[in-house]
Amino acid sequence: MAKRRIAFYLMTIPALLLFFTFHTFPALQGIFYAFTNWDGFGESYDFVGFKNFVNLFKDENVINSYIFTFKYAIVVTILINVISLLIALGLNAKIKFKNFFRGVYFLPNILSVLIVGFIFNYLFSNVLTTWGAKMGSEFLSQNILGNADWAWIGIVIVAVWQGIAFNTILYLAGLQTIPKDLYEASNLDGAGKFREFISITFPLLASFFTINMVLAMKSGLMVFDQIVALTGGGPGRSTQSIALLIYTGGFQGGEFAYQSANAVIYFIVIIVISVLQLKFLQKREMDM
Amino acid sequence: MMKKVIKPMLAGVLAISLLSACGNNGNSEGASSGKVEVEFFQGKAEAKATFDKLITKFNEANPEIKVTQVNPPDAETVLKTRVAKKDIPDVVGMGATDTFSTLSKSGLFEDFTNDPLIKDIQPAYLEMLTNMTGLTEMNGVPFSTNANGVIYNKAIFKELNLTIPKTWDEFMAVAQKVKDSGQNAFYLTLKDAWTTLSIFNPLESNIVGLDFFAQRAAGTVTFKDTYREVAEKQLKVLDFAQKDVFGKNYNDGNTAFAKGESAMYLQGVWAIPEIQKANPAIELGVFPFPSTNDATKNKLVSGVDTLLTVAKSSKHKEEAKKFVAFLLQPDNIKQYISEQKAFSAVTGVTQDDASVADLKESFESGNLVDFADHYIPAGMKVETIFQEFLQKKDIDAYLTKFDTEWDKISNRK
Amino acid sequence: MMRKTTNWTSTILIALGSLLILFPLYMTISIALKNPEEMAVSIFSLPTGLHFENFRNAIEATNFFNALKNSVVITVISVVFILLTNSMVAYAIARNMKDKFFKVLYFYFISAMFIPFQIIMLPVVKVTTDLHMNNIVGLIILYVVYGLAFNIFVYVGYIRSIPYELEEAATMDGASTWGTYWKIIFPLLAPISATIGILSCLSTWNDFMLPLILLGDQNSYTLPLVQYVFQGQFGTDFNLAFASYLLALTPMVIVYLFAQKWIIGGITQGAIKS
Repeated sequence: MAKRRIAFYLMTIPALLLFFTFHTFPALQGIFYAFTNWDGFGESYDFVGFKNFVNLFKDENVINSYIFTFKYAIVVTILINVISLLIALGLNAKIKFKNFFRGVYFLPNILSVLIVGFIFNYLFSNVLTTWGAKMGSEFLSQNILGNADWAWIGIVIVAVWQGIAFNTILYLAGLQTIPKDLYEASNLDGAGKFREFISITFPLLASFFTINMVLAMKSGLMVFDQIVALTGGGPGRSTQSIALLIYTGGFQGGEFAYQSANAVIYFIVIIVISVLQLKFLQKREMDM
Repeated sequence: MMKKVIKPMLAGVLAISLLSACGNNGNSEGASSGKVEVEFFQGKAEAKATFDKLITKFNEANPEIKVTQVNPPDAETVLKTRVAKKDIPDVVGMGATDTFSTLSKSGLFEDFTNDPLIKDIQPAYLEMLTNMTGLTEMNGVPFSTNANGVIYNKAIFKELNLTIPKTWDEFMAVAQKVKDSGQNAFYLTLKDAWTTLSIFNPLESNIVGLDFFAQRAAGTVTFKDTYREVAEKQLKVLDFAQKDVFGKNYNDGNTAFAKGESAMYLQGVWAIPEIQKANPAIELGVFPFPSTNDATKNKLVSGVDTLLTVAKSSKHKEEAKKFVAFLLQPDNIKQYISEQKAFSAVTGVTQDDASVADLKESFESGNLVDFADHYIPAGMKVETIFQEFLQKKDIDAYLTKFDTEWDKISNRK
Repeated sequence: MMRKTTNWTSTILIALGSLLILFPLYMTISIALKNPEEMAVSIFSLPTGLHFENFRNAIEATNFFNALKNSVVITVISVVFILLTNSMVAYAIARNMKDKFFKVLYFYFISAMFIPFQIIMLPVVKVTTDLHMNNIVGLIILYVVYGLAFNIFVYVGYIRSIPYELEEAATMDGASTWGTYWKIIFPLLAPISATIGILSCLSTWNDFMLPLILLGDQNSYTLPLVQYVFQGQFGTDFNLAFASYLLALTPMVIVYLFAQKWIIGGITQGAIKS
């Protein structure tokens, strides 16, 4: 038995050490720097207590980045889930070339987010504007990414285009777990399509709905690659996500300590949201 | 049974050690043949090919040294991370930017104050460096310099019978004439925030002046009280630009101007090679941006485009400086500036390209002024403030923001 | 009783929707094959002469095959090590959940899923450099280590559904713990390993941020990172840029074309089982 235990320790301890070195230790360092005024490269720094945290709440740029990130994440989460559920229902119906279409819808998921962003950046500035001009629309003939009020929609479009792939497959997997005879029974009752969805399909998909909501929300809150490729956070700072602000401020702006404090707040926010979301959705799962 | 687990593990370890061996190969080879490796780090993508040619020439002439060029995207960020890692490249080529000034203040670069390397450099540019860093040390050697003005399409100017404007009023009159003819006077590329600087820099330097920043730091003045004229003129330029100015980026602008879509283009001379690539036949010229109505006061914005410096921590300082000295030799810098359409910081080496002939006068008379944005802390990301202002067009909100952002950054220290 | 007839409404809607997915990819291919003169005529039309020189230039300019080699090496080795090591750690944890040490360890690993990468970004660069690991080897180690959080979560859930009896029988026959893991458990994990392998493969292959901040030497850049460099260097030549994008996307698309069923099946399996 002792031998077994030693083997189990040998299996985990190297991983524990590596994980501590490359994840926990840097994270603790990040928290440590949040209480200093280190610029990220200089030789010396001082402790400043909670000054960075106090300044964060007074900083318009920080507040704006939180507003943008939440607005973006919520809209993307809802759109991705609605659209991918519809597509999954379509793919699960008796359609022609099912495997081909399933393959097409999953395709965006295997592509690099950065490169997809570069491609859409070009489409937004050169293709959509040409169409807009042809349609005689003043608004559509302008690059949506250049408009401080609308640029975020452009990022949403790209994120949804790419994000529905994965969630569609998950919903499709969920639909396939639903036994066919359940529908046959409801067919006999003469239940309508919509009622069938509300009373049979959706409740049985509840756990998949939970996973998909959490996954989409989490990647929405972490958005980075798309923004680097599409707007760089502009115009102005209108599409600057929290992740991008921490990256640019910390690395380029010489405010490493300040942005570390921002990362600590961001970390707390993500934890709170994840816990709330899981609690809420699981409770609903139970109710259904 | 243990064997079955260990075998794949061993295979993996072997693979990894092989990999690292591959990775180190370059170095060990270099060491075994007795070559000193010097890393040259520079951030201008446009200049990579030219530097490669010069490096080949240097390596051939100095068989005991091997210079390699590193040219990453987002170079200033990469450089800062490498400084954090205490892994500073031997030779660094960079702009005279706020990053340079911060790194200099951290004491990372050699002091060239008494170094023979700066003997032939034009004093005006040396002064710019020390003014900017605020140090008595000279932490870099100015190499190439640039100019930010108004690039114009000679064919359109001829067709509309326009002459080069010397004052702000003449400038606006020219723009109006182009507009009346149904063409675009300017092609603005405001999707790329940094291109807003080519409007701001000449206006700031000529109307307010660079001394302002020291006074602002001391707290005796505010942007709100001083910058109104600058702000109004920044906005005025928009009246004569093409449609969708916020949807176009720098690359779009270079192509569009090359195709004759606007009469003028507010950019630095570094855009000229790109424009000529898109249309080799274009006839263009550059004139100083006339910011005020006093023609004698309108100086050309010109700064250190690339400076060369050597890391204090370098293990091969002697070889690194040898490479710097090589780049500063008149024939080498001449090759660099003619390929890059830049100007030389070395006395006596001139840029003779026809496209920049109109700037010669400013350079000869020394009627130059530095880039204003280099005096603004990088953390402010001032270009995004300009981008927002030009879209929202609210002067009061803009100037207030300028002041609060400035205070915020200085409060962080 | 089952409706056997094709549902044409759904087929048409799905087909229209798939056009929205395919359009940007069609544009990518067609722009990559054109030259600037054709672009000026119409952006949308099919290319007339196929301009393969765009690809030749892109390969040359980005040192494509070197970046491809780096991406393949990093992805393959990372995935192999993730599958071997992460499942082993999960096995040890799953079989000792009553032990306090392993229970704490479990929550320690999975809680890392909630830590935003930004908070460790700069410190980790320092740590890896101090250990001389700011290279491909270091990158692989980080992928394997960072995979632990999510993969342990998934593996532990799966292993706990495997009955003890098999292992007990093996132990009776005198197999060591290692032997049991390798001979009995690891093969049983194949379906979930397929899922984790696919997901790790995609995320490693397409990752941009970690290579960006970690890799110093330009010769070790990966495909997405090279595209980022490309942006600056190719300025106004969209055809060249798109040729390069297409080249960078192609290897994974080819893998996908051949392994599509397997990839989607793997993810579907994973979704149902966990």
